[in-house]
Amino acid sequence: MSDSATATPESQYTERVLLTERKDWEINQAVLQPMIQTGRRFWVLVAGLTAVVTWGVFAWGYLVYWGIGVTGKNRPVYWTLFITTFVFWIGISHAGTMISAVLRLLKADWRRPITRGAEAMTAFALMMAGLYPLIHLGRVWKFYWMIPYPNNRLMWPNFQSPLMWDLVAISTYLIGSTLYLYLALIPDMAMARDHTGGLRYKLYRALALGWRGTEAEWHKLHRALGIFSIAIIPIFLSVHSIVSWDFAVTVQPRWHSTIFAPYFVVGAIYSGLSALATILVLVRKGMRLQEFLRSEHFDALGKLVMVAGLGWIYFWFAGFLVEWYGNEPVVRELIRQEVSGPLAPLFYLQMSANLIPVALLAFRKVRTTPRLLLGVTLLVNVGMYTERLLIVIGSLQRNDIPFNWGTYRPTWVEISIVAMTFAGFALLYTLFSRIVPYVPVWEIKEGRLRYTLRRIGRLLVPTAAEIE
Amino acid sequence: MKPSAETKPRWALVVDLDRCTGCQACVVACHAENNVPVAGESLTAYGRWMHWIIIDRYWEGEYPNVKARFMPVMCQQCGEAPCEPVCPVFATYHNPEGLNAQIYNRCIGTRFCGNACPYKVRTFNWFRPEFPEPLTEQLNPDVSVRSRGIMEKCTFCIQRIRSVEMKARAEGRAPADGEIQPACVQTCPPGALLFGDLNDPASRVSQLARSHRSFRLLDELGTDPAVIYLKGGETNV
Amino acid sequence: MSDPAVSLIALFHEGTQTAEAIDELHSLGIPDDKMVVMTGVPYPERALGRGREWLTLPYIVLAGAVGGFFFGVFLAVVTPHLYRLDVGGHPPVGFPPAAVIVFVFTMMATIVSTFLGVLWEMNFPRFGAAPYHKLVTDGHLALLLECAPSLEAGVRKVLEEHDAHHVGEPERMML
Repeated sequence: MSDSATATPESQYTERVLLTERKDWEINQAVLQPMIQTGRRFWVLVAGLTAVVTWGVFAWGYLVYWGIGVTGKNRPVYWTLFITTFVFWIGISHAGTMISAVLRLLKADWRRPITRGAEAMTAFALMMAGLYPLIHLGRVWKFYWMIPYPNNRLMWPNFQSPLMWDLVAISTYLIGSTLYLYLALIPDMAMARDHTGGLRYKLYRALALGWRGTEAEWHKLHRALGIFSIAIIPIFLSVHSIVSWDFAVTVQPRWHSTIFAPYFVVGAIYSGLSALATILVLVRKGMRLQEFLRSEHFDALGKLVMVAGLGWIYFWFAGFLVEWYGNEPVVRELIRQEVSGPLAPLFYLQMSANLIPVALLAFRKVRTTPRLLLGVTLLVNVGMYTERLLIVIGSLQRNDIPFNWGTYRPTWVEISIVAMTFAGFALLYTLFSRIVPYVPVWEIKEGRLRYTLRRIGRLLVPTAAEIE
Repeated sequence: MKPSAETKPRWALVVDLDRCTGCQACVVACHAENNVPVAGESLTAYGRWMHWIIIDRYWEGEYPNVKARFMPVMCQQCGEAPCEPVCPVFATYHNPEGLNAQIYNRCIGTRFCGNACPYKVRTFNWFRPEFPEPLTEQLNPDVSVRSRGIMEKCTFCIQRIRSVEMKARAEGRAPADGEIQPACVQTCPPGALLFGDLNDPASRVSQLARSHRSFRLLDELGTDPAVIYLKGGETNV
Repeated sequence: MSDPAVSLIALFHEGTQTAEAIDELHSLGIPDDKMVVMTGVPYPERALGRGREWLTLPYIVLAGAVGGFFFGVFLAVVTPHLYRLDVGGHPPVGFPPAAVIVFVFTMMATIVSTFLGVLWEMNFPRFGAAPYHKLVTDGHLALLLECAPSLEAGVRKVLEEHDAHHVGEPERMML
């Protein structure tokens, strides 16, 4: 029942019934105001992030000029932090599609205020991820040889290589999620066009494409969003599977595992949903969106994170059990490294940072208190990043011929470039939240049309109408 | 039956571990023949040596009863090479003579092949190789000098194979057994390395491949390597 | 003002009033294709008593998907034979890599054709003057209609009965 002693049952539910008290124009203003008024904190944040990004770009230029040797890579650890962070960003990108496409198809109304923030997270995470296949190339100025175009060298890229699958799959996902983000944005661009002036007006007018809100336009938009939602789900499932096959198609011990594809996908959902929760808590505070992002949204998101975490545990154990049982010498040595060897601190960090949040999220208090949810979900992503570290770097340090075992130590170049993408993501996201209405206003208003309060016995409950 | 112009050869290397003394003359010869740069002591300690052939060495026992177990390892020129399908730009492919060919100017440096090779015989140019004067006078004009960002590995001295084949074809015959000698084979003082055509049953390497001492490295992985080792006596593997 | 048709715009606060007004306008003889309803919120399909439009979008998407499928097949199955290079242990065209490439290009074409198809069907981008009112995005429903001048008085009466405001010539705003 009601766990808030001060709020009467009725007021608690009206607050929940998607802002019935507010007029449409009030909602518009509440969403547009934080976009237009930017305080000093915003500019300090942007300046700091830009500084980190600039330093990272310098480090990348240094890398291109001097060669990959300025990183810590060696034989046999040919792939290190760049590929780790690449996999991490692809993982983060999965949550956006989960929320907007899957929940839209399931008609889960609590997704309404979150979809745009989630889709933006996907698009920017993919942009950051897409940088890494370029950054880690030994001769990045020849990257275009991976593109299939007829040329007088009569050479063609190799479509059997998982890196080519990566190229097309990530491009597809990036194009798909950007178009999805934009399509759902058009009515809100029209709203912003109608309420702003000057440079903003010009931008919104261009992006709104002349949207008026006629019934035909809404009908077509709905149909397109429905098709998009269905089409983007196989894409997002396949992208991380393809990235996992970068590892699984080799005969490297511990990479050569058939469970990699679903393991990575579930891990991505876990990591991405946690990142989404982190971002939502921060944006809610920074843009004063407390009215739109309420406790029931975090509650539902927290439950999803917990379920994803349980799925991750299952797939991790399914892979680990088989490796441990098989007793293959090199795999046994790799496991020994993690459990009681030099990699043990990272391994226990990974396990605790992935398991503790699953337990904590079982408590409603943790899910609905923003500060606690922020801490828990940050911990999840620390654990998931460490997991990718151990898979990529930890496995490569050992292989079938012991003479070829090695150790890896990162350098400032790699760390700077990794930091560059984190700062770049945050920068893009911050700028996005100021240029585009963060909350999908039309979807919230659409949700309001469907909700009423109904009395069942002594309870006053919100009911949703079963209309499309 | 001698191979005629119609049957393609399959080049193979035989390493007789009973004869190998671990003197590393093959390593030096390979560096000289193939313009392989020297990485230096600190980079080598970090695992960034550039040797295309390297003597894998393991220490056994405690002083004063220490034994060294060693074997020369180079690109095994696998028949079913795991490094070939993973290159996104076909910088490594399987040529009709059974060699795993590396095309230097096609490589964009993803290093996927390095991860996929179970023998870890592929080396990467981490920096632009420096050949301090007067070593530049010694560079082999038959082999390209690689810049940074390119993977490289033992090629069975394909430049020597080609030059002998061309000379033989100009004389209207096939290369004789033992006529083609990669740099390491030519240099090896005790004669532990032998090179020849596995498809010719009469060649020396074919006969040795049928020896009871023969084994191949990591055979259980199914890579079908073209390097055949002959088991040694006590001092070696 | 006698021969050409009269254009009117009316704003309503609420969906039910709009629907009733539309019903009465139907009975006055104004057909559906002379009426356009603009809203800031999507109303469910038949809530305002009007018919549903048939879309070519699904067919565009299907055509796009088929095109993508064939392009993927071309890239994965045909081109390796054009530029032949053998790699160890695998034939030039194997089922699993080809399946991955075909799948990804099919999905890419589906997505892009959905987006371009919906833009084409909506005739977007359409900048230029069009009848519109800014209050639409503040939650009002705008009814835009064309009728013969003789019916104008009756139409205005119906609109006022249902609490319409801002009734008049529609302003052609730059969109």
